[in-house]
Parts: sequence; structure tokens; C-alpha cells
Amino acid sequence: MNIAIILVIAAVVALGIILRLAVTQRLQGKSSASLAGTIRPIDLAAFRNLISPSEDDYLRRRLPPAQFRAVRRERLRAMAAYVHVAGRNAAVLVRVGEAAMANGDPRIAEAAHQLVNDALLLRRNTTVALARIYLALAWPNSGFAAVRVVDRYQDVSSTAMLLGRLQNPAVPVRLSSLS
Amino acid sequence: MLQAHSFLWHYLWLAPHLLQVVLAAMVWRRGLHKLFPIFFAYLVFEAIEEFTLYGLDVIPSVSPEMFWRAFCVGLIIEGFIKLGVIGELFFHLLQPWPVIAKVGSRLITGTGTALVLLATLAAALVVPDNTHWFISGSHILQQTFYIVECGLLVFLLSFAAYFKLAWDNCAFGIALGIGILSCEHLASWAVMANGGLLDRRQLLDFLNMATYHLCVLIWFYYLLIPQKSATTFAVLLPENNLDIWNRELERLLQQ
Repeated sequence: MNIAIILVIAAVVALGIILRLAVTQRLQGKSSASLAGTIRPIDLAAFRNLISPSEDDYLRRRLPPAQFRAVRRERLRAMAAYVHVAGRNAAVLVRVGEAAMANGDPRIAEAAHQLVNDALLLRRNTTVALARIYLALAWPNSGFAAVRVVDRYQDVSSTAMLLGRLQNPAVPVRLSSLS
Repeated sequence: MLQAHSFLWHYLWLAPHLLQVVLAAMVWRRGLHKLFPIFFAYLVFEAIEEFTLYGLDVIPSVSPEMFWRAFCVGLIIEGFIKLGVIGELFFHLLQPWPVIAKVGSRLITGTGTALVLLATLAAALVVPDNTHWFISGSHILQQTFYIVECGLLVFLLSFAAYFKLAWDNCAFGIALGIGILSCEHLASWAVMANGGLLDRRQLLDFLNMATYHLCVLIWFYYLLIPQKSATTFAVLLPENNLDIWNRELERLLQQ
């Protein structure tokens, strides 16, 4: 009978999760208008500095091992915070792109599709990067690079800018320096 | 009131499947069977299966052993069709986004394998509730299928929520209906398979049938009510964020 109790509890929890996700999914469609305001900008230069292997090498050479591990852990925590924000922004951009995909203008629809694609890839990469950062926290001496997250973030930024310019040509979005 | 073979019992056994036949016909007329062929097959098969079982149950010349054998065969086919429906939902969700389709397929394969192992372990721990192997066996089989289905649906909905993937109205309705059905059926079949509520089994039958009725109504709502165009408006990206992004990118490029 113990196994029945465990399975009943598991079924109730699963039902709760399914209903909660269903309600969230329905509400998600209704709250799309205020989405873009929730994007949090990231200082990419500071992020790049954090993930730079040469910075790590420099610190490793300069600091005693115990102090290096402490500093490395602090840097990894900061890195995790950046990656977390990048992942959160990616999720917001997926919804922004999905909302724009229904647009009648094929250029906007195409840009929106590209934005969702890039944002999904970024979201996937940030998830993997976060897992690796938490692993690296346990072994601070191990090497870790989140360069792909930064590169992907840049791709998503430029796609988002393109979509923004197509949707609202009046806004002076400077893309020329990127091309 | 809640007695086996009462009017309510007959109604709850037959009505959802009659509605299912109507739903299958309307799905066919609207061409949705081309989008969801496995779900359409499920609607048709489930209706045929339940009408057959109902007939076997009320015809006096049919032995209990024959009924349970038919029940076992039906539930095995139905179980595999429902797993096919979950695969179909997953395909619909990820088809437009190949960038995460591969990782999604790997994750769902891994989750499915883990759930099969878990369900096998749960089946091994069951103490049979009936001396007839085909009765206790069919209870255990139900429990096994529902552990896998329930787990896969939780994974599917969680995966979509994590990546903020938008569901098509029909696919969402199908997933919600099968999700509710799997959770409730898992709980009741787990109780039955493990010998619980032996003297009040009809309550679990009523609960199962009422839940199924509710799920058929959910499918009606999502498959046949036209999707509102509320989500078709464009969300404008705020210029202040874009300016900040531009500044950061330009600063990066100037280094």
C-alpha cells in the first residue's frame, strides 16, 4: 500500500504542476504587451572580462592557491548572475518574437522568426552554461568558458534590434556599426 | 446514488464516448485529423473500445474472464496510442524550432527511459490485489502506463514553459486533457493495483469516468472553439533598452 500512497501523492503533485503551467500559459498570452519592459540590459564588456581565460590565468599566477579559489568562486557567482539575466532576457525575447510573428508584414514575421530561433539557442546555451558554472563552483581550478553565451547574446541583440527597427522605424536604432 | 449499474454509471460510461464520436466526426470535418492523426485514431479507438467493453459488461453470457481479457488487450493498444499522441504533441511543439528539437528529443527519450524503469520498479513492488492474474495484471499495467504518460506530459509542459514556447490552441487542449486524465487515472489505478478501497471500488470507477467526461469536454472546447486573435498583436521593443544594448555593443566593438 505504501507504493500506492507514493503514487497518489506523485499524481496530485503532477496534476498541480500541469494545472499551474496551463494557467501560466493562458496568462502568458494576455500579458505580452508589457513584456519588452522586463528586459534587463547586460554590460557585455564586464561579462567578457569575467569569462576571460587570460584573466583567470593572470589571477592564478598572482594569487596563492587558496586565495585564487576564493576569488575564482566570487567571479563564478558573478558570471552565474550574468548568465541568469541573459537566459531570462532570452525567454522574454522568445515571447516578444512569437507575438511579432503573427504580423502581416513578411519582413517583420521573418525577423521575428529569426529572433525566436536565436533566443531559443541562447536560452539553451545559458542553461548549459549555468550547469557548468555550478559544477565549476565545486572545482574552482577547472577551466570554464562561457564565450558562446556572450557571442550568442550579441547575435540575439542584433536580431532584436532589427525587429525593433522594422516594427518602429521612428526609433533611431543604430545598426550601421554592426554591419 | 453512486452504485455500479445505476443510471449515472451507465451515463458516465457511455456519454463521454458518444461525445467522443461526435468530436471525432467534427475533427474530421474540420480537417484537424491531418494535423493530429494519432489523436484522431485515439478518439476513434477509445470509443470503439469502450462500446465493446460496455457490451461485454452488460451481456449476461459473457464471462468475467472474457471481459478482463478484452480489457487487457484494449488497454495495451490504448496505452501505446496515447504515447503516440504525446509524441505527436512534442513534434507539433518543436517542429518550428529545430535549434532545440535535438536537445528536446534527447531529453524526452531520457525522461521516457527513466519513467519506464520507475514504472517497472513500481510494478515489481505491487502485491497483487486479485487471485485472477488477468485482473491484477491489468491493474498493474494501467498503473505502469499512467506513470509513463503522466511523467512525459509533465516533462512536455515544463519544457514548453521553460523555453516559453507558444502552444497551438488545439495541441494545448489535447495536452491539458490527457494530462488531467493521466494524473487522475494514475492515482486511482495505483490505489486499485495495490488493493486499496477494496469494498468501494465503484467510487474509483465513478471518479475515472467523470474525469474522462471532463477531459472530453476540454477537448471539445479547445479543438472546436476558434482561437482568439488576442496574441497576434506585436510587442514593440522599448527604445531605451535598444539604446543601452547599442551602447554596450558599440563599446565592445570599439575595444
